[in-house]
Amino acid sequence: MFRRKCDRRDWLKTATVGGVAVLAARWDLSAARATEVDDRFPRLADAALGRARSLGATFADFRIMQTETESLFVREQMVQGVSAATSLGCAVRVVCDGAWGFAASEDLSEEGVARLAAEAILIARAQAGWRKRRVEIEPLPKHVGRFDQPAEIDPFAMPLEKKVETLLGITAAAQKSGANFCQASLEQVRERTWIANTFGSRIAQSRVRLQPGFAVTVTDAKTGRFATREGSVPPRAAGWEHVTSLPLAGDAARAVEEAREKLVAPSVEPGRKDLVIAPSNLWLTIHETVGHPTELDRALGDEANFAGTSFCTPDKLDQLRYASDIVSFRGERTEPGGVATTAFDDDGVPTAGREFFIVENGVFRSYQMALGQAGRIGREASNACGYAESFDAFPLQRMPNISLEPGRDPAVTKESLIADIDDGILVEGNGSWSIDQQRYNFQFTGQVFHRIKNGKLAGMLRDVAYQGNSVDFWNACDGLGGRPSRELYGALHCGKGQPQQAAPVSHGAVPARFRGINVLNTAEQAGGKTAGCEGCRGVVRRWA
Amino acid sequence: MTASQSRTLCERILGLVKADSAEVSVSDGDDIHLRHASNDVTSNALVHRTELSLTVSYGRRSATLSTNQLDEASIRRLVDRTQAMAKLAPENPEHMPPLGPSEFATPVTWAEPTAAASPATVIESIRPVIERARDAGVDTAGYLQRSVGGSTLANTSGLFVHQRSTTVGFSVTARTPTGRGSGWASTQVTDIRDLDLAMIGDRAIRKALDSRNPVERPPGRTTVVLEPAAVRDLVAWLVRSLDRRPLDEGRSFLKGLADGDPVGRRLFGERATIFSDPLDASAPCPTHSGGLPLVRTPWIDAGVLETLAVGRFWAKQRGVQPQPHPGNLLMAGEGRSVDELVGMVDDGVLVTRIWYLRSVDPQTLLLTGLTRDGTFAISKGKLAGPVKNFRFNISPVHVLARLVASGVPTRVLGSESGSPACVPPVVVEDFNLSSVSDAS
Repeated sequence: MFRRKCDRRDWLKTATVGGVAVLAARWDLSAARATEVDDRFPRLADAALGRARSLGATFADFRIMQTETESLFVREQMVQGVSAATSLGCAVRVVCDGAWGFAASEDLSEEGVARLAAEAILIARAQAGWRKRRVEIEPLPKHVGRFDQPAEIDPFAMPLEKKVETLLGITAAAQKSGANFCQASLEQVRERTWIANTFGSRIAQSRVRLQPGFAVTVTDAKTGRFATREGSVPPRAAGWEHVTSLPLAGDAARAVEEAREKLVAPSVEPGRKDLVIAPSNLWLTIHETVGHPTELDRALGDEANFAGTSFCTPDKLDQLRYASDIVSFRGERTEPGGVATTAFDDDGVPTAGREFFIVENGVFRSYQMALGQAGRIGREASNACGYAESFDAFPLQRMPNISLEPGRDPAVTKESLIADIDDGILVEGNGSWSIDQQRYNFQFTGQVFHRIKNGKLAGMLRDVAYQGNSVDFWNACDGLGGRPSRELYGALHCGKGQPQQAAPVSHGAVPARFRGINVLNTAEQAGGKTAGCEGCRGVVRRWA
Repeated sequence: MTASQSRTLCERILGLVKADSAEVSVSDGDDIHLRHASNDVTSNALVHRTELSLTVSYGRRSATLSTNQLDEASIRRLVDRTQAMAKLAPENPEHMPPLGPSEFATPVTWAEPTAAASPATVIESIRPVIERARDAGVDTAGYLQRSVGGSTLANTSGLFVHQRSTTVGFSVTARTPTGRGSGWASTQVTDIRDLDLAMIGDRAIRKALDSRNPVERPPGRTTVVLEPAAVRDLVAWLVRSLDRRPLDEGRSFLKGLADGDPVGRRLFGERATIFSDPLDASAPCPTHSGGLPLVRTPWIDAGVLETLAVGRFWAKQRGVQPQPHPGNLLMAGEGRSVDELVGMVDDGVLVTRIWYLRSVDPQTLLLTGLTRDGTFAISKGKLAGPVKNFRFNISPVHVLARLVASGVPTRVLGSESGSPACVPPVVVEDFNLSSVSDAS
């Protein structure tokens, strides 16, 4: 995907590699602005890095970032949100006297970027006298090049009417099937970054990603109950072709049927059960129980005040049996369509050739790392996991695409996994998710739960949550779907850091079977005596 | 940007608009983000920020675009693009025209010393926290955010409001070298002179040392003392769910709490009193929300539901005045210290902070989350040593229904929410600690 040479004035062409779409006039402007930045980037980089060096920086990088977003929201047959945003600015990051300094602004003048360099130095130097551990970064290879992520049909060039029509088609299908309420949305993002550093790199990149979504709700006036079924629609680093490849209207109609069935489904009997978890649910379990625990900055305590630390401490490298031996997880930023995919991370580290096993045949093998972290655990270099959500954000270690490797037998399917269960549950779609600050104890729900009886599906259940310990859970995995059953899901907004930054990440998964997992009844969890408030009939009745 | 400068900018932008109506918002500021971990500064940022957002409407068609570029060419592009998108947007039957002028109280969110503090001064302010942690033999990780900014809202109906604010927020987690003890504390102030970071750091360090080597206590329903940070996260979830429209549509947790209209009904314990007041100096906020004045509003008074938020369109449908969601969260307390609250509990658990709060069942507002950074057993009115953390499954309705005592309201930061809040520690009975977590 990485193309080393590219016409610097080629934004318009490269944004539509397939040549299918013609950029609408309103988006020419941002592309034109990008071309202006192309022209100014070398001079600005020289001004920023030169100033940083002259003030004593031992390392500096300069990053310009332009972010464009467009969001559409429809409810029933009403278009309730049409919004777009663009931001453009730059940042200078330095290592000076063994400390980080960072400053950012929307001012793209040569004087402005030189001033930022001085401010970044000021922050680094303000720690002098009481700093203990020096920031050490590994040498980075020099790269000069350009990467433009392919997209057949630029979503920013798609006529607004077409996008709205697609969303209203989804809600119309839901209404036709009897939804009392329904909504559909589309979010699309384009990032352009220019990175220069004191190792001599000069890199320009552009990425596009988008995600449609929907939710339907049915209500029962007699009982006062309501049920919502959210769509399981993955994000993709792709163009509008991703949207047209999805049977969204049909899925919405089916979701209404499922929501209706949820309303009257029997409540689950809690206890230890065998589960088959579909990729539409399992991707988030991977994210929370494998992705976050294996972030090196967490393990080293850098995120202790917010996201937390990790049970997966460096002494467990190559030692911890994280999962059963059929389970492997791979991290990479090179899979086509993955929303974390890129040619260089925001530290300027190339991604190709840095794919890695986090867990290999059940054993913990590697952390995710950004610049300056690998040396702290005796490893040589970052595996290209640096990312900053906007021009004014300090690059952090963020997740690459992390995927569960398919089982060895390509013939294994969800159905064959189900066939080997006497009494269990099939879990589909994401509901709620929660996990402790060291990633031991999780509790997840889903969108739809089917009872499995004697190897077959036997109707829907409600009030289901599965709860457990990350390592115990993955060691209870005894069946994986084969490669044909793999699906790629993910999220556009994984939060981390202070101030919190959102990052896009994809997770590939196959259906997987787990034995003896703790299943809770969420209605029972809500129960309890709630006396003491006269007139609160619902509280007393429902919770008694 | 001063009020005069922002007025000039807004008038210039609105003067370029040819659409039927338009509304512009401008915000700018200088922020310092300072993180530290393992007792050294880590990622940090000095950020100069600006954002301009424009909404234009042709009849019921509208679009909103924003940018951070304020040069003449960028502004003209923004106006042109927003108008072009609005023309293409389908009509929204629920579209509401811009609000007219209003009187807004002058907010109490600005302190000149905070605005004047240099980056070097702000950075230096965390030094005592780090040095005391080193002396105590614990690792701290923290985050200080100094924010100085202004925001302006103006529209073609004559509305203009410009307000400024300064805040300094700080939270810190202290951990013992073995990782088996962890403590947390936070504060937020408007005036940097009110900041006492050493005291906050000491509190986190003390909690970390006291929480070393926790023992496992069986999960189950028990009485808990929730410190203010935990109260804030649980109660804020409930307050932002107090909305008229979902109730009318049959998809609100309130549906299950009362026959008919729940407003005016006692749905919670009589010790539950929650209100918002932008001028309350304990946790002030702007005095408008999208051009609607924010004033002191009772949400729950002695257990009685007093107010539901109502959006402008829904208010018009119902023939009532719109009611914006609160800009801050204030909860009345009974003046007791945490120690006094602990003294009231025969057998229970003290919770410092909660984490990863998520909805489990919107029908009952059931939430799940975990305790962290200082969880202690209570026995016969005294703290009886650290216990392992718990996952809980609880509805904030239950928290307010089974609230049996409360303490002194304190301004604290939450785990994941940001609006200003001043809430007391509380005692809650029958709190569902559903399983044990090994996290420490």
